[in-house]
Amino acid sequence: MSLEDLSSIKGATASKAVEALFSSIKNAALPAESNDFNATHAAELDDLRDDQVHNSSDLEKKLIKQNFPKEKNGYLVVSKVIEN
Amino acid sequence: MASQIIQLHEKLVNKEISCTQLIKEKLKSLEQNQYNSVNFLLAESALAKAKIVDDKIAKGEKIGVLEGIPFGVKDVFMLQGEHASASSNFLKNYIAPYTATAIQKLIDAGAIPVCKENADAFGHGSTSENTIFGAVKNAHNDQLVGGGSSGGSAVNVAKGYTAFSIGGDTGGSIRQPAGFNKVYGLKPTYGRVSRFGLMAYTSSTDCVGPIASSIEDIEIVMNTISGKDYHDQTTYASSPITLNAAPETLNFSVGYYSDFIDNKGLDADIKKDFLAVIEKIKAKGITVKALNFGSTDSLVSTYYALAMAETASNLARLDGSMYGERATADTLKESYAITRSEGFSEESKRRIVGGNQVLSQGHADEIYLKARALRSQIMSHFDKDFTEVSVILSPVSPSTPPSIGSSLKDPLAMYLSDIYTIGFSLGELPTLTAPVGTATGIQITTAKKQDELTLQFAKFLKEVL
Repeated sequence: MSLEDLSSIKGATASKAVEALFSSIKNAALPAESNDFNATHAAELDDLRDDQVHNSSDLEKKLIKQNFPKEKNGYLVVSKVIEN
Repeated sequence: MASQIIQLHEKLVNKEISCTQLIKEKLKSLEQNQYNSVNFLLAESALAKAKIVDDKIAKGEKIGVLEGIPFGVKDVFMLQGEHASASSNFLKNYIAPYTATAIQKLIDAGAIPVCKENADAFGHGSTSENTIFGAVKNAHNDQLVGGGSSGGSAVNVAKGYTAFSIGGDTGGSIRQPAGFNKVYGLKPTYGRVSRFGLMAYTSSTDCVGPIASSIEDIEIVMNTISGKDYHDQTTYASSPITLNAAPETLNFSVGYYSDFIDNKGLDADIKKDFLAVIEKIKAKGITVKALNFGSTDSLVSTYYALAMAETASNLARLDGSMYGERATADTLKESYAITRSEGFSEESKRRIVGGNQVLSQGHADEIYLKARALRSQIMSHFDKDFTEVSVILSPVSPSTPPSIGSSLKDPLAMYLSDIYTIGFSLGELPTLTAPVGTATGIQITTAKKQDELTLQFAKFLKEVL
């Protein structure tokens, strides 16, 4: 897939500045035993809660609807055709 | 400088000024300022809150230390019913449906948000020029940049327009503008302050923290906004910070990275001044050890590979469907593409495209996964260094603030200018910019969850210099 499609940005191409950064990564030395899981993190994985569903307040719902770019009879309007 | 919060609190309690007067004065100075530091004033809600404080004082009721204190909010935070533009064209008319946890905690303590502050759009920048509200001008020289991305916040504190401001720091966005404008700025340990309601840039390094003119104010704000949050599962419970520890408990041992200081890109005066600070610390009988960071060549690349990958993912939700500006087209896919092409700035597009490049098939292994492994290596390196020293000092920036307009021409140079701040972001470490020692200050870093020690050392350093 092209960068234009991946990014949903017209005419998207790789930037020289970013390419320069990435070449530095490709050339970086990494010890053979390195992996992504050997560092200690501040946040702990054994203290997670279950997902829970909460109803938004009336004000929050009202503001969410106010932010609709296009609205008709309280519903969000989008293009009828997804893709040609 | 003495605590602005305490000074204003005493004036309110002693009835030297009413809260309404105070807020009106701040709103006026913010409105008239020529530094492009403000995106939106919060006049109506601020004055309503001020009246409540005045009524309380009139009844002889006791007020908390933050009650009636005006503060600024970087315009990447949600504050219910107010604009949250991220300084972007995309969200210029967006209204926040809810309030960020850190901001809500300050409001609950009685502090009054007075403005949404200018910044680089979505935090994408190091100069606060990547904004639709005009480049933020440096508080001490309006020909120079205010730093970024929390440039408006740092300028407002430096000029005294706000008592303190709340910024976001992903790779230095609190610390570098604090240094450029000669104020304090803290990036806490990752997870100490909730990110809920902060627009996500790089979720694995995004931090919320204060910018203030004194260490005491940083302490007061941190003790209000820290703590575990239901809405952010990366937060953890923490004890309050105490600046006034008994001197015998402060047995500092200091380190600095010699390869940071030997970097050819470091300004000669900043290098000289930094080394002079080291000598003054040694003269106090404190052990100072020269350390080796070891991977400075790939440090900036590691940070940006991860930051771009995460921001590409986080900003994929901005397609103009449910909120934000939308360009109309015949098909949904075309609508997304035109909306995103028109809504994002060149710098944001560069980072999104770079992120998708990093994550795409064929590049993920050699760039993204390798960057994650390099980050892990950097974190382990910090863990080891903090078994040898308790505090690490470093410059904030390799050079003094550039002229407005010069950085936009050279994005690679802008990325490389973040070299001294981004490592500590990758390490999740508490790091404070103290406006002492060099033209852009000194960074004070301690081990994870040692935020208190960071501030205690800053207090010590202020006394030494």
